[in-house]
Amino acid sequence: MTGLLLGAGLGAIAIGGVLSVWGKAFSAGLWLQATGAGGVSVAGFWALGSQAALGDTFTSSFVPRFGVDGLSGLFLGILGLIAAPALVFSVRYLRPSPTGRAVGVLTALFVLALALVLCARDPVTFLAGWESMTLVPAVVILVSRGADRRARKIVFTYLAVTHLGGAGTWVAILLLAHAGAIGGHTTIASGSGLQTAIALSALLGMGTKAGVMPLHVWLPRAHPIAPAPVSALMSGVMIKVAIYGLVRVLIDWDGVLPVWFGVLVLAVGALSALGGVVYALFEHDLKRLLAMHSIENVGIIVLGIGASLVLRARGADTWAAFALAAALLHCVNHAVFKALLFLGAGAFERAVGSLEIDRLGGLLRRMPWSGGAFLVGAMAIAGLPPLNGFASEWLTLQALIHVPRYGHIGDGVAGALALAALAATAALAVFCFVKVVGLVLLGAPRTPAVAAAEEPPIPLRAALIFLALACVALGFAPGILFGPLVGLAPWSSKVGTQLGLHLPGTGSLPTVGIAVALVGLTVALALVRGNRRAASAPTWASGQIVEPALNWTSAGFTKSLRLVLEFVLRPEREISSKAEGGVLQEVVYSGNVPHLIEDRLYRPVERLGFRAAVHARRLQSGSVGTYVVYLIGLVIVLLLAVRLGAIG
Amino acid sequence: MQVVGGIALAPLLPGLVQHWKARLQGRRGPTPLQPYRELRRLWGKSMVDPEGTGPVYRLAPLVVTAAIVAGVLVVPVSQAVPNLGLGHDALVLVGLLALAHFAITCASWDVSNGFSLMGASRDLMLSVFVEATFVVSLAVVALIADTTDLRGVVAGTAGVDAWANPALALGAVGFAFVAIAETGRQPVDNPDTHLELTMIHEGPLLEYAGRDLAYLQWAAAARHWLVLVLAAQVFLPHARGVWLQLAVLPLALVVLCAALAIVETLLAKMRVLLVPRLLAVGLAAALLGIAAWIAGAP
Repeated sequence: MTGLLLGAGLGAIAIGGVLSVWGKAFSAGLWLQATGAGGVSVAGFWALGSQAALGDTFTSSFVPRFGVDGLSGLFLGILGLIAAPALVFSVRYLRPSPTGRAVGVLTALFVLALALVLCARDPVTFLAGWESMTLVPAVVILVSRGADRRARKIVFTYLAVTHLGGAGTWVAILLLAHAGAIGGHTTIASGSGLQTAIALSALLGMGTKAGVMPLHVWLPRAHPIAPAPVSALMSGVMIKVAIYGLVRVLIDWDGVLPVWFGVLVLAVGALSALGGVVYALFEHDLKRLLAMHSIENVGIIVLGIGASLVLRARGADTWAAFALAAALLHCVNHAVFKALLFLGAGAFERAVGSLEIDRLGGLLRRMPWSGGAFLVGAMAIAGLPPLNGFASEWLTLQALIHVPRYGHIGDGVAGALALAALAATAALAVFCFVKVVGLVLLGAPRTPAVAAAEEPPIPLRAALIFLALACVALGFAPGILFGPLVGLAPWSSKVGTQLGLHLPGTGSLPTVGIAVALVGLTVALALVRGNRRAASAPTWASGQIVEPALNWTSAGFTKSLRLVLEFVLRPEREISSKAEGGVLQEVVYSGNVPHLIEDRLYRPVERLGFRAAVHARRLQSGSVGTYVVYLIGLVIVLLLAVRLGAIG
Repeated sequence: MQVVGGIALAPLLPGLVQHWKARLQGRRGPTPLQPYRELRRLWGKSMVDPEGTGPVYRLAPLVVTAAIVAGVLVVPVSQAVPNLGLGHDALVLVGLLALAHFAITCASWDVSNGFSLMGASRDLMLSVFVEATFVVSLAVVALIADTTDLRGVVAGTAGVDAWANPALALGAVGFAFVAIAETGRQPVDNPDTHLELTMIHEGPLLEYAGRDLAYLQWAAAARHWLVLVLAAQVFLPHARGVWLQLAVLPLALVVLCAALAIVETLLAKMRVLLVPRLLAVGLAAALLGIAAWIAGAP
């Protein structure tokens, strides 16, 4: 039954993709794709709930095999849950122009490639799906951006970084296949060199694809320049599929990893979480800012995985399963609110024409539905109760508290540091989204285009409202997912069915009670406050005149933090003033927070690469004589090698 | 007891601090009941909607107050209190305080008052360091009590035995900085200031009037209740029995208010950019507390 639904869903996406080639059937094709995605989502979550395996099981042999189990089901569920609203959004967001139709087809291809990775049950299919999920978005960006030179350069960076780093995925999967360990049929010895090699290359390869720092450079470049629905799929689903790969290799197949590796994963997660959110604070473009937040949230997910690895190595299996469930729950939650925010940004861009954060303002009044949905998404990503982001961050904090509980001094202190990093990350996310909400939704419109902005057509609004309701629902009853997620750990562990989060032996998060109390109290307080007969008055501002020129900007609002973190961030700023006859005529200010990892790590590597290329080019002079010399040299070396017994 | 105490007695705490502070400085000062008079006065006044503000500005005082009331229900006054459906989890309290910060700082964007935004920016910057210190110091006591349920924590840190390991003392040092920052007291913030340029917590309230302002001032007073009850029943030595805990609590709160008054009298307000260093000291102490707990764990 589930298999049938899944097959029908994927078939509908394929047929819908083909249909959207024709201008007349364009919207019908996208609607069909959306329906198919809905089917995939239901089938996926059903497979997660029933924990039953469908189709083939995993094999290390190089024969195509397809199947679904609980973990695949979860990620298929996420895929459908995000793809359906993104496709409904596309119906009116994309135009049936040649470019729009091409993007429509490619979206179907992208969803199918992601599903291929999740349904693959052998190394060849897995790697094929993995590569196509990297390549299809690159094509989408190139198609939608046309002859934009900057976009081409970004796509090149994206492909270069993900392929260089992605080599790690190949190494990990092929090593596992060679050892016959795919699907856990043979157990890899703990602490062996093979285990370490697999774990490190998986962290490198799949970490690059997930956008983990310091391998993230492609993500804030590539995600923002795709069309909004594709950005939503990339940030919401594609990086989650990379997490799926990481969970498969590190938790399912690679045996019990040593403690130091778990600590390494914790460190990488903490760096991504803090780094992502700090650089997001200083971004001025809404979509780039959201992309930086994806790095932060992947960091939070990786913290959960790291906690799970450490706890498993210390023998605390129950809490290792809870930590894994925390990471997976955050995968679902982040997919929902990040897709909501990217689609919301798409709606704003469509209405206003720009996403420069200092040139928006007051959109909540102009676009109450889209703006309201965006506000819900902002509160969810900031990790505020009673929404879904808080539930999974609460779980991750609980998991991290238990790392020192079961650990020794080294990993225990690492867990405590990760705990502090996650708490600071949550507060920084609140800071960042107060800034976003304030500059985008509140206050007075800052340009005439913003003042004239209008609500988008119904399908766009419906997609946003659906995702906002999903944020509320997942915040209200995270326990429904939590039970099955705990059951996904390959060692057996179970918790009872519940709505809130009640963990044995520690505090609990009664989400229902908190949500009811907060809403009830707000309503009660409004009633007590009584009929609001407020005088309307100009903003007092302590006697200052409020005028647009004095509006606060993104840079102004974050200045306090920039100054405090000056010694780490090393911000650059330049002020030049022009005076004529002692009267100040003009002041020019420019400020920038450089990305340290790019400047200190990637620039030198890039420079070294170019220098090496110059030398390498000398070898290829183009003259036949030189090549003959190379050939003779090679033959001599080979003959010598044979003579010395190094070959054959 | 908890509800009545938290909601009705909360304004008494900042009143007491102000009263003693004045006494220490050789002034007669207002009576401890002054906050109640101010709330009554504000309740009778009309509210103001600055031009161009929307639903976020109107909802913010309600959301802030609702979050703080929920916080009052979460923080238990003793190791056995009835569960009102919200549970008593320590990390939930952190989330509720973050919600209050979010609501009021968003409101200051809605009015676009530069002074409000300056306060909001500083408040959020400080809360990064406060939240990290808060969570880690809560983790210290959670490890000692082996639960994050605050009722269990109150029971687990009671008596003398818990103090055998330096972990609790180090956690208490961390929490002391959180208490000062979260209540907006010197040397972090000056609750008496009338100079908008120096405001942190007061800044975002500048445009409010009437019942809105009354709610917000009550919420500021109730933050005193939250952190001082936590300090008395968790981070400082307290009795084991439920009734003894309840009996000693008023006394402990009075002593803590006096302590805040002394700190305010002795220390001047710091430069706001130096406060994170102060909080980093608290964070380091709390982290050391976790290390000490691991080292001393059975």
